[in-house]
Formats: sequence, C-alpha cells, structure tokens
Amino acid sequence: MIGWKIFYLLVFPGLLFTGVLGLIVGWVDRKLSARLQFRVGPPFFQNFNDFLKLLGKETIIVKDSIKSVFVATPLAAFGFLVLISTMIGLALFFHEGFVGDLFVIMYLLMIFSVLVILGGSSTGNVYSSIGSGREIKLLLADELAFILICLIPIIKSGYQIQLKNILEVQSVQGPFISSVSGAIAFVIGILCIQAKMTLPPFHIPEAETEIVGGPYMEYSGPLLAFWQLNHYMMFVIYPFLLIALFLGGFDLHGIGILWAVLKYLLIIVIMILIKNTNPRIRIDTALNFFWRYATPISFIGIILAVFGV
Amino acid sequence: MAVNELTLLVVIPLGISIINIFIPSILRKILTFLGLCYLLFLNYNLFIIPAGDAYLFNEVIFSLDKLGFFTIAFIQILSFIILIFSLKGVVKSIEKQFFVLYPMTVAFCNGAVLSAHALGLLIFWGLTGITLYLFGVLGQTKDAPKTAKKTFIIVGGSDAFLILGFVLIWFLQPASAWSLWNVQLELSGQLAYIAFFCILIAAFTKAGGFPFHTWVPDFSKDAPVESVALLPASLDKLLGIYLFARIVLSLFVLNFGIHLMLITLGALTIIIAVMMAMIQHNGRKLLGYLAISQAGYMIMGVGCGSWMCANGDIKGGSIVALVGGLFHLVNDAICKANLFLTLGSVEKKTGTNDLDKLGGLGKSMPVIFTMALISALSISGIPPFSGFFSKWLIYQGVLDLAKNMSPGYQIWLLICLILAVFGSALTLANFMKFLHSIFLGKRPKTLDNIKETSANHWIATGLLATLCIVFGLFAMQIPIKHFIMPIVVEHGWAIPTLIGSYNPILVILFFGLAFLIGLVIYLFTKNVRYDEIYLGGMEPLEKFRVVGTEFYNEIRNMVPLRSLYDGAEKKYFDVYDLGSKGSFSLARLFRSIHRGQLQLYSLWIIVGVLILLWIVK
Repeated sequence: MIGWKIFYLLVFPGLLFTGVLGLIVGWVDRKLSARLQFRVGPPFFQNFNDFLKLLGKETIIVKDSIKSVFVATPLAAFGFLVLISTMIGLALFFHEGFVGDLFVIMYLLMIFSVLVILGGSSTGNVYSSIGSGREIKLLLADELAFILICLIPIIKSGYQIQLKNILEVQSVQGPFISSVSGAIAFVIGILCIQAKMTLPPFHIPEAETEIVGGPYMEYSGPLLAFWQLNHYMMFVIYPFLLIALFLGGFDLHGIGILWAVLKYLLIIVIMILIKNTNPRIRIDTALNFFWRYATPISFIGIILAVFGV
Repeated sequence: MAVNELTLLVVIPLGISIINIFIPSILRKILTFLGLCYLLFLNYNLFIIPAGDAYLFNEVIFSLDKLGFFTIAFIQILSFIILIFSLKGVVKSIEKQFFVLYPMTVAFCNGAVLSAHALGLLIFWGLTGITLYLFGVLGQTKDAPKTAKKTFIIVGGSDAFLILGFVLIWFLQPASAWSLWNVQLELSGQLAYIAFFCILIAAFTKAGGFPFHTWVPDFSKDAPVESVALLPASLDKLLGIYLFARIVLSLFVLNFGIHLMLITLGALTIIIAVMMAMIQHNGRKLLGYLAISQAGYMIMGVGCGSWMCANGDIKGGSIVALVGGLFHLVNDAICKANLFLTLGSVEKKTGTNDLDKLGGLGKSMPVIFTMALISALSISGIPPFSGFFSKWLIYQGVLDLAKNMSPGYQIWLLICLILAVFGSALTLANFMKFLHSIFLGKRPKTLDNIKETSANHWIATGLLATLCIVFGLFAMQIPIKHFIMPIVVEHGWAIPTLIGSYNPILVILFFGLAFLIGLVIYLFTKNVRYDEIYLGGMEPLEKFRVVGTEFYNEIRNMVPLRSLYDGAEKKYFDVYDLGSKGSFSLARLFRSIHRGQLQLYSLWIIVGVLILLWIVK
C-alpha cells in the first residue's frame, strides 16, 4: 500500500509525470507565444535542455544572505508542488483521495508564495524585497476570488470537500461548468490561476524589465532550475485543479482520452492567449481588479450555486 | 489530613508570590521555577487521577470538570514555558515586582477556572484584572500608565457586567444557586438575554473579541513583553474562551439566532483585526491585532457548539466546530506567546520593536528566526503545523451546519466562512510583513553587531515551536484525544464522521521525500560561489533598503479602506475612546446645569424624584 503511494508520488501522477508534462507544456507555451509574435520559437526539447544546463551551472550565493533559507526554499516549493500534483492527479486519474481534501490543497498552494518571499528576501537584495512585497499583495488580490470559486463546486456537490467526491457528483450530474454559477467560477478561476502563476498580465512580482526578476533575481544554477521547474509544474497543477472542480475530471476510456486532452489544452491555450495579449498591470490595478470585479462576480456565482443555478 | 490538589493549584503560586517579596533575586527565580514545576507535576497527577472537590465550610469551592482541566493544563504549560524565558532578561528595575506578580497571576487564573461557585469565579476574575493592570504599570514606555488605565477600565468594566450577569442568572433561576455547571438557562425574556450579553461581554473582553478588543494592542505595545506573552496572548485568552465555552455549554441554552450572531461576531473579529494589523509599524501592536484576529476563529468555532437540531439532537457540525475552536485556542496561545517572545528577544538585543528600524536579523539570530517562522506559519494555517488542523475543523463544522439550512442562512454562513478563510491569507500576509521587517531583507548598519540571544530564550521559544509541530502532526492523537475529546464525551456527544480528509503525518512524509530528492539533485550538481548582492553595478546603499511595513500601502490607500483606516487611527471605533468621550460630554452637560444656584439644585432634585417615581410606579 505504502509502496503504491510512493509510486504515485514519485512517478505518476506526481514528480515524474508532472515534471515532464510541465516541461512539455512549457514548450507549448513558448512555441505558441513565439508564433503569436511571428517568431519561430524553441525546439521541443528546449525546456529539458535548459533545465539540465542550469543544473550544471554555477550556484552564486550572496555572501550576506541567510544561506539555508536561500537554498531550501526552491527545493521545499518543489516538494510541496509534487505533493499537490499527486493529490490532484490521484483524484483525477484514479478517483482516490490522497492525504488531504480541497481545503488542504488550497492552503498548501499558499505555501508557494511564502517560499518565494522567504527565498527572495533572504538575500537582502532590494529588487527581491520589492518583488516579495508584490508577490504577497498579488496573493491577497487573487486569493479572495480563488476561495469563492473553490466554494462553488463544494456547494454544488452538496457540501463535499474531497476532490474525489466532487468528481463523483459531477459524473452523475454532469460537469459544473454547464451551470451558470459553474461557468462564472470557471472564468474567474482561469484569471485567478493566471495570477497565481504570475503569468502576464499579472507578472508583477517578477517584472523583469522593471525589477529584474524580483524574488528570483539572485538565483542561478540548480536552484534557478528548480524555480523554473516549479513554474512549469504549475502549468499542470492549476489547470488540473480547474478540470477537477468544473470540467468533470477525466474519463480515460475510448473517446474520453481525447476529451481529456482537449479539456487540458483548452485551459492552456486560453492562458497563453491571455498572456500574449495583455501588458503587465500595476499591483494596485490587480488588487482593484480582483477585489472590485472578480470577487463580487464570484460571489454572485456563490448565490446562484446556493439556489442550484 | 491530605490537602486537596485543586487547592494547591491556587495556594502554592500565591504563597510563592508572597515569599518572593522578601527574598533575593536569584532565590526568587529558583522558587518560582520550582513552584511552577510542581504545578506541572500536579497537573500530570490530575490527568492520571482526577481530584475530588475542595470544600470550605461544607461548600464546594473548587471543582474540576473536563473543560476546566483543559484550561488548567494549558495555563500551567504556558506559564511554565514563559517563565523559562523570563528567568533572564526582565528589566532589572521591575524584576522584583514581576516575579511577585507572575505566580500571583497564575494562582488567580487557576482559581478562576477551578471555582465551582460563581462568586469564586467573580473574585478571581477580578483579581486577574488587577494583576493585568499592575503588569501594565510596569511597562517602560511613556504611554504605559495611560495604557494600564485603559486596560483596567475596559477589563474592570467588563467585570461589572459579569457580576450583573450572574446576579440575573440567580434572580431568574434561584435553583442554580450560583453554580457554574448545568445551569442551562433558556434564553426567553429580556432579563435572560441581558444576563447572556453581560457574561458574553466579560468573556469577549478577556479573550479580545470584537468590539471589546481595543485594550489588547495598546497593552501589547506598552507592557513588559513577558507579561504580554503571559496574559493577552495566552492566559487571558484561555480564561476568556473558557468562560465563553461555559456560556455555550452549561450556562445558557442558545437559540438559532444567537449561534448565528456568535459566528458572525467571530468572522468580524477575524477580518477587522487582521486588516488593522496590516497598517501597524510597531511589531508588538501588530502581534496584538493578530492575537485578536485569532480569537475570532475560537468564537466562531465554540459559538457553533451545542447547536441543536429541531428534534433536540446536537448537530454534528457544531461538535466538529467546537473541537476546532477549543483546539485553536491552544494553538493560538502557543503560537502567539512564542511570537511575542521571539519579538521580545529581538527587542532585548536591538532595543527597539519598531519594524521600520529592524531588518535582516535572520542571519545573526537564526534560532529565534526559525522559532518565529514556525509559529507564524502555524498560526497562519499552513499544513502540517497545528494551526491548520484547528481551522480545518472549524471550516468543516460551519459547512456541515450550512448544509441543511435555507438558502438565506446558507449564504450568511458561507460569507462568515469566506471571511475566515480569507482571514488566514491576510494573517499570512501580515506575518510575511512581520518576518520580512525583522529577519529578512537588508540589515541596517546599526544592527551589524547583533548576536543570538541567551539560552533560556532558545529553550522557551524552542519548546513552544516544538508544540506547534507536535500538535500539528499528532493533533488527533495528543491534544484532541487527551484534552478536548473528554469535554465532548462528558456532554454525551461524539465527533461525527468528518466530511474532509487530512493526514498531516503523510503530508510531512511525502513532502519530505520529494524535498529530499530535490536536495540530492542539488547536492550532486552544486558548484557554489559566494558573491556580493547584484544591483546592476550599483552599491547596495542603506537608502535603498525596503522595509516590510511598506508592503501594504496600496491596500491602505484603497477606497473605501482609506477612510476606514483613517477613522480607526483616530480611534473612532475604539469603545474606550468612544466611552470616555461620551462620559466627558455628559460630565460637561452636568457641569453646565450645576451653576451653584440653590433654586436650580432644588429644581433638579424635584425632577429627579419625579423620574424615580415614574420608574417605580
């Protein structure tokens, strides 16, 4: 039993699967973005090459930094993302629970921002500190709407908080996106994950042309490789979460496999299109957007969900 | 004749307190330490073999039920650990008074919890208020006397409500004979409601519940840090929530509307306090507001307790929330005490608790930084630390209650839940500001020579941080099983099947495994070079330093939050300030109509007599 759990964690749907799929989807993102900008884009294995190349590079550590924190944070973020990907993946592929429910996933997802801030700020670099401040504000901006959209499937499934139970209800009633409240939550959910992954127009904490990468500025070599891998793994985790909550999960039988791929690609393509068609916004604009527009709309979704609409 | 152990829990610390007046400093510390060690041992004995009641003139004066044992146990544990911190580092000029007041406070807190009689509770409750005031007076800041007065007036004023509440209970139900157990007064009629609200005010004031919380941030800022960790952060919160749980479980039979009101007040406490914490520049005040905010989770959880179905059965969700609320009380007391102590360590080394003047101390004080980080993550609700488990139980309880309600009430409860969950994110944001301002970022030149603090600080903060981890990983096996479940069982209830699933041990094991793989890859590939900060060729000058207090300026300046924050800073929402302004206006009015003319005085006497006759007619 424990052997299987370790297999889930390390091979499928955890570390190996999420890591490899993340790097591939990262290539899709880069390639599609390049085509949208009339460029050729990188070859298929570019992300794998980048990762391996960075592993062989020098790690530069700031003399005056808190070294243990600087080194441990990208690795800890990697550990948590592997765990979360296993939790979501097991529910999606095997309809099984794994160590925690939706609340556990929501809280574990917050840790990523904490680790970015701790790692970045441990160096004492001014750009990293500015980026860290923006990272936590962006978390506050999107988190309220994210909580609301996560509550909608909970309400619609009769107050179930385990992903496998939410998926079971959808297999009987149909995907929640087919309802008005579900559709609202899905749309807001896409915007929330765009912000959670700090993709344009919400790449405010990194803002390379402005604060030179923010919290990641002092990272190099294997540690930077892990931050990049973490980022690509989120390309799997967040869309999978939306699929589990609103699109009825995966049915891996016959034509269902094609549907599963299409569902995933749909979310990825929407994210890439948003990314390539919007300039970076200011942090106060992001706060205003999420608190004034996304949150009230999500709340309307909650009211509709309570009334079964 | 064997002395009753319950009596010893009060008499021993009180005796130590009196002896401490007359003995030299070193003996004072040894005696207090040994005394509190013995209290811990007594507590362990009570855990193994419950003690009988203590009598005075054939009346039961001290008794201990499961709720009492839960509270007493954590009073001893926390006061012992905070004492270890206080053994070295208390300001010399106040050391004697401090070591007299410290065991005295423990004695009075024990007395309040052990009292089986409402009069006993009233006496000890009032005495804890006095020691709180005296600790406030020991503060070294210029505002300390003013803050002590404010604390005394708010807490003392709430004591008056408590007395009125118990008198009304006795008046409405003489058969209760001032008992604190199994009164079960129905909330029907105005007097019953007045009694309920009077006692609720006392409990909220002690625990720091909205809107009677305003003494906590000021006391946190001005009193000695050890006393802040002891009282508002832990013992007062234990007492306040203990009384609140008594109200819910044994003093009153609450109705639907009251449960809903309590959950709402809990949610408001969470969100208002945490939003106030965002704009603080003083570390202790920030922690004070966060201590208030966490009381909101307890109010929310315990406020659900004893919620009946239409057929008279207890609702399953309310028991889960009650367990979560009581567990959160323990978690918050541990974490918040630890955070005050870690800040105290920094303060003693740097001479300031102003967040604008600190920064980058994580490298020079790594142990204290680690302890602060663990406690901050725990109380922000990050798995697998203890704070998450209690919040997770409360959320499940509230969801379970909402499940079978009409749409309107479902939406109401969901709003409260959303505020509570978002409150966690805001708490985390506040702690990121706190940690960044003190331990991360660039260190100011003035703090270059700061070294780690003394061993007793490490031990105390280390013990508390260990509790955060152990209670998180073994929540069901240790704190819930041994301290909280007995309370539930004593009432004849049982925890229903949980709607969620969470295994903290597997979380840490699987996270650890993935982390280890990452670490192995890093160690095999690393090729480290140390270098200076890179700022595009510029010097990392002091003027470029980013302090964490600037993090939330955009939120501070958002409409309509800006006007709310402005109002709060001018104390427009402070009950004490509003009350004192009201009293002074009233006094001015009376002064203006008392001009020393005999005719006018005669007129007021006649008007007064007429009003009295109208009232008693």
